Amino acid sequence: MAIQQKYQELINAARTSGVNNLQVREQNNVLYIDGEAPTGKVKDQLWDIYNRIDPDFRSGDLVLDVKASSAAGTKAKVITETSNLNIRKGPGTDQPIVGKAAHHEMVTVVNQTNDQWTLIRTDAGEEGYVYNRYLEKA
Amino acid sequence: MKRLSFKLIVFSLAVISTVELSSCKGKTDKSTTTTSPDTTSTTTTAPVEVASDEALRNGVKDATKDYPSVTATVADGEVTLTGTLERSKLPALMQSINSLNPKKVNNQLTLN
Repeated sequence: MAIQQKYQELINAARTSGVNNLQVREQNNVLYIDGEAPTGKVKDQLWDIYNRIDPDFRSGDLVLDVKASSAAGTKAKVITETSNLNIRKGPGTDQPIVGKAAHHEMVTVVNQTNDQWTLIRTDAGEEGYVYNRYLEKA
Repeated sequence: MKRLSFKLIVFSLAVISTVELSSCKGKTDKSTTTTSPDTTSTTTTAPVEVASDEALRNGVKDATKDYPSVTATVADGEVTLTGTLERSKLPALMQSINSLNPKKVNNQLTLN
């Protein structure tokens, strides 16, 4: 219970910001918070709170897995630092690169394959998998 | 699979309790027959699913690919991060690692 108290502000924020299927569970002195954030912005806000309560995420007492899924057909922005984003044949960095999406290019979500990979299509017609970290979803 | 079998157990318990309750019909007042299992609250207490070490190793390989100064090791469901990283990049890396269903994440990175 002590861990839940430590992260109470985060739990409350998840509850009030419309996170779906929110689950808060404690097991072996680790707190697990899972759910689906309505937007990427909500997810980022929750991570900001986490970083404030536990600076640099050092304690190892929380696994925060709030997904920001996007529906098929929605647009997403490529948020690499400067470079192009690899589009791969399958969901994995061991998969061959089949195309590139430019920095800040808008691409179309075909489907959210899993928590790490999204199948996308570019306006140029290239289709394949990209790593979720580099997509800013609406 | 774990979650599925747990759901089956919950469902079975629900069926059993319903049968038992219905056998009491007529013997007790109405309040017993209107009792229904609260499946929502039951589901939230399901044990946390932790990915296999093999799945975690594949996942951390993808997650750290663009951070060559970071090493991620996996043991017994725990992911341990060592090496160096710019502090501004830490949240993005932690988000990726946390989405892999680890048991625990040990951040031992030197941040700069």
